[in-house]
Amino acid sequence: MREGFFIFFSLLTIACALGVVFAKNAVYSAFSLVLSFFGLAAIYVLWGATFIAMVQILIYTGAIVVLFLFVVMLLDIAKGPPTISTGWWMAALTGATVWVFSVLLLRTLNKSGLPVPTGTLAAVDIRTISKLLFSEYLWPFEVLSIFMLALIVAAFALARPEKGETP
Amino acid sequence: MNQVISPSLLQWSHYLAVSLFALGLLGFLVRKNAIVVLMCVELMLNSVNLILVEVSMRTGRPEGIIMVVFVITIAAAEAAVGLGIILNLYRLKDTVEMDSFKTLQG
Repeated sequence: MREGFFIFFSLLTIACALGVVFAKNAVYSAFSLVLSFFGLAAIYVLWGATFIAMVQILIYTGAIVVLFLFVVMLLDIAKGPPTISTGWWMAALTGATVWVFSVLLLRTLNKSGLPVPTGTLAAVDIRTISKLLFSEYLWPFEVLSIFMLALIVAAFALARPEKGETP
Repeated sequence: MNQVISPSLLQWSHYLAVSLFALGLLGFLVRKNAIVVLMCVELMLNSVNLILVEVSMRTGRPEGIIMVVFVITIAAAEAAVGLGIILNLYRLKDTVEMDSFKTLQG
């Protein structure tokens, strides 16, 4: 049962990723991205990582993709010529090469480094995560908040209209 | 709360993550639309998240999950700044095709 769900959501994720890459309209790309992220969130739920699944839906599909859609519709670039550039075969070759070598790398990792899966996945609950986040990883967390502050200023400075230009 | 899933499917999750990464890289290379290029970067980040969560759930240690939280935050930041840059480029050149951004000089 659970395996069936896993296979279904994996296929959904891959198909929607294909949709992101090959859709001619940028709006379709964005919606494919939403579905792909939902598939990943479902896989996280299957593994018991419910916190990450929630964050995935809230931030990725709730904030990031909405931002993408907003810009796509703001710029009105949905129409226009087909968008695959000329070096297509070169890029496809690159992708295939990366795929093959990554699979080789993961096989090697599975043989040596990582623990062998026993069939049961230990769930990491949100209490442990929050305790670690506010004790051991407090410094990275605070650096990240300062980074987010800088981000707000940067985004505002970038999107502000020039002097004398009407927004 | 233990989730039972067969070990072979965990291996398949690696293939899923690698396929996602390869697809994202492919889109990053072949697409001309700058916004879609940013979306493909998000795809690659998600494949890395998948691997991190998988390893974290497999070993039962929360470090991978915490790293995923950081990665998601950085991804949001990257999308916001990248889209701001694209907005400015559109104002400058009236297009978002990557091929039209060839000079650094305004």
